[in-house]
Amino acid sequence: MKIEFTKEWCLRMAQLEAETPSNFEVGASPLAPEETMEAAAVEQSAASGIVFGRFVRLMRRKQRLTVEKLAEDAGIDVVELVEIEEDSRHTPEPRTVYQLATQFKVPMQGLMQLAGLSKAKDARLVNEAIRFAARSEPVADLNEAERAALEALVSVLSER
Amino acid sequence: MSIDVSKVFLFDNSAKNLVEAELLDAIVEKQLLDWEDQWIPARDEVNRRLKAAGVDRSKWPQTGHWSWRDKQLGIKGSLSNPSFCVVHADETQGLMILDTLPSARLSSQAGKPIVYIDYLEVAPWNRKHLPGDVPRYGAVGSILMRAAIELSLQEGFKGRVGLHSLPQSNDWYANKCGMTDLGPDPAKQNLRYFEMTPEIAQAFINRGS
Amino acid sequence: MAAAAKKTMTLNLTDVEMDALEDLCQKKDLSKTAVLRQALRLYQAVEIRTERGAKLFFEDEQTKEKAELMML
Repeated sequence: MKIEFTKEWCLRMAQLEAETPSNFEVGASPLAPEETMEAAAVEQSAASGIVFGRFVRLMRRKQRLTVEKLAEDAGIDVVELVEIEEDSRHTPEPRTVYQLATQFKVPMQGLMQLAGLSKAKDARLVNEAIRFAARSEPVADLNEAERAALEALVSVLSER
Repeated sequence: MSIDVSKVFLFDNSAKNLVEAELLDAIVEKQLLDWEDQWIPARDEVNRRLKAAGVDRSKWPQTGHWSWRDKQLGIKGSLSNPSFCVVHADETQGLMILDTLPSARLSSQAGKPIVYIDYLEVAPWNRKHLPGDVPRYGAVGSILMRAAIELSLQEGFKGRVGLHSLPQSNDWYANKCGMTDLGPDPAKQNLRYFEMTPEIAQAFINRGS
Repeated sequence: MAAAAKKTMTLNLTDVEMDALEDLCQKKDLSKTAVLRQALRLYQAVEIRTERGAKLFFEDEQTKEKAELMML
């Protein structure tokens, strides 16, 4: 079958694709058994989603930035930033984590682990992350307890 | 076997201009040879870089295990599995296999036939994997998506399209294509199932106008 | 897909068959030709998989019991 494609349409779509951090592969792939999304893996990624999202939100508030401003400063997509902060199921793109690491001045490797993009090898980081999640509140002003919790997590992240 | 060729345009990200390419409504030996000779080595290179950057294996491109040769063998002669590819400069840039048998799951479209995208992959050099990656050509995936929609229209399926998205692609299908997320599907490794209504399909085609 | 030269076929259907066809057209929001095309595709798909050794089942949603379809 023949289809009519205009230059304008192709250009517009290329622009949209460039704006999107993600790729667009489709297909239920027959993954090797150890790499299938088992329930445990799904849960684990949801947990790291909560911690990472909260971390990003608090760091943003610490820097006194709106979501838009942070997205602009860090050179990342506003929609993705909102998803990171609000949707614990969202998996951030490696590029986005890299940009945020630069913006927040924390080591990339540590933030990648927090984001669930690389396997947490450091038990201290995992524990501190859990403590951080338990003490921090997603809304309201950054209070003393939150500030302390944030500093503690940042310091462990930076030890790597 | 007669193959239809449609003229398309890809965005060359280094030259910063549109280049002419072809959309073919078939996957033939040439595509499989390109996949073997060019996509696989490029994919291996990507995996090497991801490993060096410490990215967890579960976040590597999940298309890594795919064999397009096996897929093509599986659909040979099948009336219900149309396929498409995008070719530029004598190189295969994207591949897609469809299924015209499934029915829509969205309640507003329930029971009506849909074009289901079995597999869609663009060449490794047309994707972003790590910070700083710039895809060689843009619009390949969109062109294939559009082909699925146009086929759906041609078949009388009104533009309905469905697919299971690999995790890294959820954002594109939900936000940029405007598809409805029907949630994780336990029958497909908990991949999220997305569907496009006739209205959304029309909006996709009308983008940019 | 490929706009190869199409061949025309005339189909004689009984009243009952015609009713069934029209009913499917309604439900699927398809033309008669489209319904019959889908039927052909489905028949072929089942045949291909059966030849490869697969079996076609319907599963009861409630009981999860499978009832084997007779070899088509």
